[in-house]
Amino acid sequence: MQRRFITTLLISMALVSLVLAAPAWSAKTVKVGFVYIMSGPFSAYGQFAKKGAELAVDEINAAGGINGHQVEAYFEDSTGKPDVAIRVLRKLVFQEKVDFLIGLDSSGVANTVVPSIPQMKTPLIITHAATPDVTGKVCNRYVFRISVNLPQNVKAAAMLAAATDAKTWTTIGPDYAFGHQSWEYFEKYLKELKPEMAFLPKADVAFPPFKTTDFNPYINKIMQSGADGVLVSLWGGNLIDFVRQGQEMGFFDGKRQVLMTLGAATEVLSALGDKMPEGLWVGTRYWFLANSSQRNQDFVKAYFDRFNEYPSYNAHGAYGALYTYKAAAEKAGSVDKEKVIDALEGLTVELPVGEITIRPEDHQALSDVSWGQTAAHSNYPIRILNPVKLFKAEDVTPPVAESGCQK
Amino acid sequence: MATRRRGKNAITLSMALLALVACPFVLPIYWTMILTEILIMGLLAMSFNLLFGYTGLLSFGQAGFFGVGAYTTALFLSKIGSSLTVALLAALGTGAIAATVIGYLCVRRDEIYFAMITLGFGMMLYTVAHNWLDLTGGSDGMPLMNVPALNLLGREFSFFDPTVMYLFVLAVTALCIFFLWRVVCSPFGLMLTAIRENKQRLAFVGAGVQNLRLAAFVIAGALAGMAGGLFCLFNAMATPDILHWSFSSRPVLMTVLGGSGIFFGPLFGAAIFFGLKQVITSMTENWMVFLGIILVPVVVFFPHGILGSLIDWIRTRTTRTS
Amino acid sequence: MESFLINLLNGLSWGMLLFLISLGLTTVFGVLGILNFAHGSFFMLGAYLCMQIMHIMPSFWSGIILGPLVVALLGVVIERMLLRRVYGRDISFQLLLTFAILLVLDDAVRIIWGPGYHVVEPPALLSGVFTIFTRTYPVYRLFLVIAGPLVGLALWLFFQFSRWGKIIRAAAMDREMAEGIGIRVPLLFTAVFALGTWLAAFGGALAAPHQSLAPSMGERIIIESFIVVVCGGMGSFPGAFAGALILGLFESFGTVFLGSAQMAVPYILLAVVLLIRPYGFFGREV
Repeated sequence: MQRRFITTLLISMALVSLVLAAPAWSAKTVKVGFVYIMSGPFSAYGQFAKKGAELAVDEINAAGGINGHQVEAYFEDSTGKPDVAIRVLRKLVFQEKVDFLIGLDSSGVANTVVPSIPQMKTPLIITHAATPDVTGKVCNRYVFRISVNLPQNVKAAAMLAAATDAKTWTTIGPDYAFGHQSWEYFEKYLKELKPEMAFLPKADVAFPPFKTTDFNPYINKIMQSGADGVLVSLWGGNLIDFVRQGQEMGFFDGKRQVLMTLGAATEVLSALGDKMPEGLWVGTRYWFLANSSQRNQDFVKAYFDRFNEYPSYNAHGAYGALYTYKAAAEKAGSVDKEKVIDALEGLTVELPVGEITIRPEDHQALSDVSWGQTAAHSNYPIRILNPVKLFKAEDVTPPVAESGCQK
Repeated sequence: MATRRRGKNAITLSMALLALVACPFVLPIYWTMILTEILIMGLLAMSFNLLFGYTGLLSFGQAGFFGVGAYTTALFLSKIGSSLTVALLAALGTGAIAATVIGYLCVRRDEIYFAMITLGFGMMLYTVAHNWLDLTGGSDGMPLMNVPALNLLGREFSFFDPTVMYLFVLAVTALCIFFLWRVVCSPFGLMLTAIRENKQRLAFVGAGVQNLRLAAFVIAGALAGMAGGLFCLFNAMATPDILHWSFSSRPVLMTVLGGSGIFFGPLFGAAIFFGLKQVITSMTENWMVFLGIILVPVVVFFPHGILGSLIDWIRTRTTRTS
Repeated sequence: MESFLINLLNGLSWGMLLFLISLGLTTVFGVLGILNFAHGSFFMLGAYLCMQIMHIMPSFWSGIILGPLVVALLGVVIERMLLRRVYGRDISFQLLLTFAILLVLDDAVRIIWGPGYHVVEPPALLSGVFTIFTRTYPVYRLFLVIAGPLVGLALWLFFQFSRWGKIIRAAAMDREMAEGIGIRVPLLFTAVFALGTWLAAFGGALAAPHQSLAPSMGERIIIESFIVVVCGGMGSFPGAFAGALILGLFESFGTVFLGSAQMAVPYILLAVVLLIRPYGFFGREV
């Protein structure tokens, strides 16, 4: 009896697997897999990226596709966890058989997953994760990044800091690699520019755990510490809570210089509205008003018309990555994975953020970085940046030797 | 009579094993990878069921030992550079050690308190993995930078080949499950069931209830550690999330789905879980909602789990009066 | 000195919020015997509904009164349709059922309100800051420090002295006996579950002006309220108060003194308490 049952189970398993394994017939399309955080507390990032990607797919398909083939996009949810990310990456490569991969929000996920990418033999463009290591310590032939990375953004911050008259700096950042590395690089770059600058020791700076919702104790700690300059590398929900609570505690009373490395993210600005103080220096990886080129204007308009909001840096990242892939495939004349990789190295392409060039040695894109001061504007419901300061790519990008990449 | 039945069971089991061995050669690569995951999580779920189904202890901290095993393997392979066998045996060992220490403190408690205290200890391990930047790589986890090759009979097999990985995992899990089977069928295993049925009576009879529970806890912890080591090998990483209490809920889920009263129940539960996930995620990205919606009737209407209910149903249809 | 005061106030405000939420959890456990994993989701729903109602009627007070009531109604539906069926069963089934409810509610919130962040403003009466020595402190947090014990006191008086309160306590102590003397226990259970849910949602609405709303905001709450309930004693009122206070204060001062080990504070507390007093501070053997 039990044997009959097990046999029936085995046969049905076999049938089911045959059905599911049968390849679907379809015309030749170019398949691109997108892996972002689609659920959980940070799903806003993935959802924005998806919007940017969808816009790019529709535009490219309407203009004839990539090398004449229509583009098919597959979106997978990394949930912000490395083991889930690797599972969906494998699914995209081995089941959906994508030609190209785009994605990764979290630096932590990127760091842990990138070493396994070569075994999938599929190129990946990272559009959000900023850890220097993916184009540094763990760089490899298959991984590229077109977005501004942590050292570039922080170098710009250091240059801004050097121009203020703050003498002692401290930081508040999330308690994981991103927060710690932001501080590490900031210290390094600022010391190079102004050797007499002082930095608070490890015990006095603030690294609240990621899940913190109550920043009062940390705000307290910083206000007590006597530092007159603060580097804020909090982002997302953390930054929103921090700004609101900081306002209440009088953190932004002008006694200290505040630099927020990711303060110009549109989801933060929309949630805060006019609770965001004016006159703070904030950075981001893409600011929709920074570049007055036609390319950018068309992009912002198309995005706004379709989604009724302004594009965040995530949306731009996914959008730009697909166009970069298109440019590479056209240069290579094919979507063969290895040929596309060769074409990507050294490629220059114009994106809404400006012209970027992918450095062949470490696969990091050289892209200009914009910071700005928050200001109210009657035309926009959120704070915008005015003035905007543009840092040229060559001024803020560390040389290849410093990145630690050995491919 | 009994030997004939045992003979029949042995035949069906061998057939099932053969079918599993044949799988990677007939199924697409992706399904082989899913099966590998099912085996690993199934091992974790079965180790959990030793405590739950057999000893009556609901542990919400098995993920802690799973994680300890994964990190041990990662550390041994990446930082110490030891061989594959040593790394996996170390995972088994550290799982057992952690379970001994934690179990000693936990087994005194009953029911909900046991669940809560195991949850607490599991989360403490999570905090260590999450915060000890130098040892564990912090919240980003630890990638396995050099995945070793499998040296068998003089030839080298690469773990990058999904078939090799699958067959290796199958071999190790089959061994562990066989070991578990022997434990469950032994007098020790029967005593565990007795604890679940009536703890007080057992204590009156003089059996050392706490020691028995501790022994079960250590075995479960060791096997969970081994599953963790396999996980690390398969995904080429160890991350803190696998120690979180929400990960501990997975073996519980799988056991309930499959049925805690049957030896292979949790393994089937793992298969059902991953199968469900595949089906749901192919249709929608809101898979948690649907998992919850499916889970509710299963919990309410299928107390013996899906496999259990299936077997009950078959049994009622095929009973012969004899 | 003022730093100490601020940390104290922080610990108290978080502790009192936690107290209200844990009270709901512990009451439900004490009377129904169910440990509700979805309690954190009710907290989240309370916050979201408060926000939603404030979009229609822009007054915080309407949000905080109506929001939790709606959630309590949802609690009634859940209790009657789902929980009722698993009362007699093994505790793992109850945990899994409430876990399934958690999955559904958390994702439903994300589907309905989107994954982005939302913000709720405190009412004009309670917004702004007051000064302690040279530092400013938000008025709203002080409100939390006061509101928690007030609500708790009201409930305690209810349980101790009102007829219904005594009936509930009787049913918690001995269900069969209570049924034997004619108390309609099923109805009582529904009412108590609704109360527990209301407390969680009320806590959520109270917390809304103080932290940004996002799906999964219930995650931290559920684990901490579990710990408070277990440490304080399952079903114990003063236990919830003591546990929440201690946890809140430990966490607040922990950020200053413990650095990154601060994350482990709740769990260390849990382990220590359970080892010393297996049923919690004020718990009794069940």
